[in-house]
Amino acid sequence: MIVDTGYVALPIALLAAGYSIAGSFIGIRLRLPELVASARYALYTIPILLLVSTASLTYAFVTADFSVRYVAENSNLAMPKAYTWVAFYAGNAGSLLWLALVLSILTAVAVKMIRGRLPYTTPYAAGIMAMVLAFFLGVIVFLANPLERLPVTPADGQGINPLLVHFGMFIHPPVQMTGLVSVAIPFSIALGALVARSGGRDAWVDLGRTWAMISWTILTLGLMLGSWWAYTILGWGGYWAWDPVENSALMPWLAMTAFVHSIMVQKRRGMFRMWNMVLIIVGFTMAQMGMFINRGGPVPSVHSFAQSTMGWLFLFFMAFTLAASLIAFVWRLDSLKSSRGLDSMVSRESAFLAQNVLFLAVAFITLWGTIYPVFSEAAQDVTVTVGAPFFNRVNGPLLLALVVLMGVGPLLPWRRATASNVVTMLRLPLAAGAGIALVVVLLGVRQPVAVLALSVCAVAAAGILHEWYRGTRTRSRRGESVPVAFGRLLMANRPRYGGYVVHLAILMLAVGAVGSSFYGVQRDFVMRPGDEAAIDDYSFRYMGVSREEFSDRFEDTARFEVSKSDSYLGVMRPFRAFYHTHQIAATRAAIRSTPIEDFYIVPSEFQPDGSAVFRVYVNPLVWWMWASGPVLVLGVLLALSPQRQPAPVAARLPRAAQAARA
Amino acid sequence: MLSFKAMRARRRLPKIHAVIALILLVGALAVAACVPSQDAPLIEQRAQRLNETIMCPVCPGESIDQSQNMLAAQMRGVVDEKLSEGWSDEQIREYFVERYGPSVLLEPPSEGFDLLAWTLPAVLVAAAGVALFIALRTMTRSRPTGLEDDGDATLPDEEFARYTRLVQEAVDGAEGGRPSESSGAGKSAQS
Repeated sequence: MIVDTGYVALPIALLAAGYSIAGSFIGIRLRLPELVASARYALYTIPILLLVSTASLTYAFVTADFSVRYVAENSNLAMPKAYTWVAFYAGNAGSLLWLALVLSILTAVAVKMIRGRLPYTTPYAAGIMAMVLAFFLGVIVFLANPLERLPVTPADGQGINPLLVHFGMFIHPPVQMTGLVSVAIPFSIALGALVARSGGRDAWVDLGRTWAMISWTILTLGLMLGSWWAYTILGWGGYWAWDPVENSALMPWLAMTAFVHSIMVQKRRGMFRMWNMVLIIVGFTMAQMGMFINRGGPVPSVHSFAQSTMGWLFLFFMAFTLAASLIAFVWRLDSLKSSRGLDSMVSRESAFLAQNVLFLAVAFITLWGTIYPVFSEAAQDVTVTVGAPFFNRVNGPLLLALVVLMGVGPLLPWRRATASNVVTMLRLPLAAGAGIALVVVLLGVRQPVAVLALSVCAVAAAGILHEWYRGTRTRSRRGESVPVAFGRLLMANRPRYGGYVVHLAILMLAVGAVGSSFYGVQRDFVMRPGDEAAIDDYSFRYMGVSREEFSDRFEDTARFEVSKSDSYLGVMRPFRAFYHTHQIAATRAAIRSTPIEDFYIVPSEFQPDGSAVFRVYVNPLVWWMWASGPVLVLGVLLALSPQRQPAPVAARLPRAAQAARA
Repeated sequence: MLSFKAMRARRRLPKIHAVIALILLVGALAVAACVPSQDAPLIEQRAQRLNETIMCPVCPGESIDQSQNMLAAQMRGVVDEKLSEGWSDEQIREYFVERYGPSVLLEPPSEGFDLLAWTLPAVLVAAAGVALFIALRTMTRSRPTGLEDDGDATLPDEEFARYTRLVQEAVDGAEGGRPSESSGAGKSAQS
């Protein structure tokens, strides 16, 4: 009964989306405000309908209702009930329902939010959002209905891939999918404004930027959580492998990173209007590409036939939205003229543009590397692999250049930089970079790339800290205490200082990546109980293994006593589980993480004769990568927090400027 | 906290450069101190670098360095053996290509048709750089006269220079230092 209600809700939601498309576009064409309003209300009903479906699928999982095909295929009786939620999006149909649910909620919130401020744009934007939603709902209803019944109810389900049974899986896939699909919102706002002929007028920019940043943040968190999952469970001591599905999630992130920067130029200066449209179109196309690659992705599915059909549908829809947006772009090109030209080749604007170009270059190179195997197979009939070494070598220098720009760009003034103020601004950061390079070399860092990377990070960090210092100093001279002055400084220009906080988070990430990729140590050890071994300045004794039996698996947990330079650190317990049903082993590393380095043990094999093989890593600075996540979120919150009245300091300059002009 | 108060009393913070340099120095010391300085034995390092470029044939996408698979372990053994026998990196890679085909390498070969995989990114970056330069130059030269929201785009250069100088003087006078956010002038004038 409950399942049937959810089943019926899906086609109704599709109808509502269809009505909303028709109502929005016809209503605006025939100037019928009532029709436009009714289309909007239709859009508001979709999240409710989809919540009903989601609830009924969850109910089917919790009650182990194996008459539902999707439940039978993605869960079984042995599975812990908590993992029902993971099972929900373990397959295609459930993932699609999740995508549609999230998109419908975001759509409703976005439409409600932009309606008052963008009355002309909203009907178009709502119509476009409804189209994207209708696509997902159509695929769900006609091809992959998660609430479809089986003709015969099996006694038990097939269960899910045990690699997914991990805490990280509760968050990473839904966040990642939310991130990808949420790009549709800023895209719809931008395209809606374009079609409504207000793309050139910059009214949509604030809201478009807000939604782009929300979507960017979700994408970032999805990527970070995925890396964290890979690091803690896959047991290879790394966090990023340039694997096709990772790449497909990275590409839209790169394009959106370019967009959230470039949109600031339109917000502040009324420039780059065409370019911003291009960026958001590229961003949404890449997000769809991400969903397409993901649908044909690594999560094993028995639906291999349906899966390939679905992949092609995604590709088809991507081609459709791309073509439609390009037509709209060309059709409305005249409304996108910049209100002014550049004053100088060296300015904040041009730094933004250079950053955009670099980000897009990384995105397209990543795309190229990801599809090259397919291309090579078609063109020369030879299968090649394009993996981490390729991407590190090709993207590495570009990413480093981006860190340089991150340090330099924000220090350049808008409009034009003169030679003297560039020198003034960059003197200290460059000195800091050189100093750091010297210091790390003296301390024994010998890899040239690592020295360069750390030095570049220092340039960027010094630029930010320097500016914070000067701002705080100016305020504190006027009688504010230092902490208050610093706090007020951050609150006075939130987009700017929020951006700096995000930049610091990215630097933390970069330092972690440099430390672990250049100075990670790994070794395999064959050990018998009682054996002691050492790596770096850690020594560890293997105390033995104990087996625990579960209905679907057994777990072998090893015990280690670990010390570092003769001080005892405690017991670490990595384990390896073997799932009978899937014939899959899953390992769980034991990690002792400190800001300095991670000590990481993962079992690879337990032999019948009592010996076992362990892989041990010492990964410097990885902690910083995970710590950067919360910092980044704080920065985004600061950048997005509404700022009605400019604080005193910010207000001063315009007045001075006006006085100067008068 | 005490030091903050003391600073405030003096209404003057210590020389900025010293402070920043100190912070960064401490940061660098922290970073560098935890980076192990002694390098792993040469052959082991070479083996790992080589392992990172060879794919484990039964676990697509994973290098034999990362894979926990039996076959990967055997292949790592082969790499170690060949290295100790004095084979070159290229010879070892060739050895695996003969057995498992070109897809066993995690990067396309840099010769023949596959050179395309490597050159296209370089061409793309070069083209993007040129396009960026041309775009910036075109935008610098074209100064649209149509005024939309405000007119400062048409402010003559000397007028603009006078205006920035005045703003900078105002800022310098008020805050007794270098222009703390010279960028602020241009951008807040917009809002």
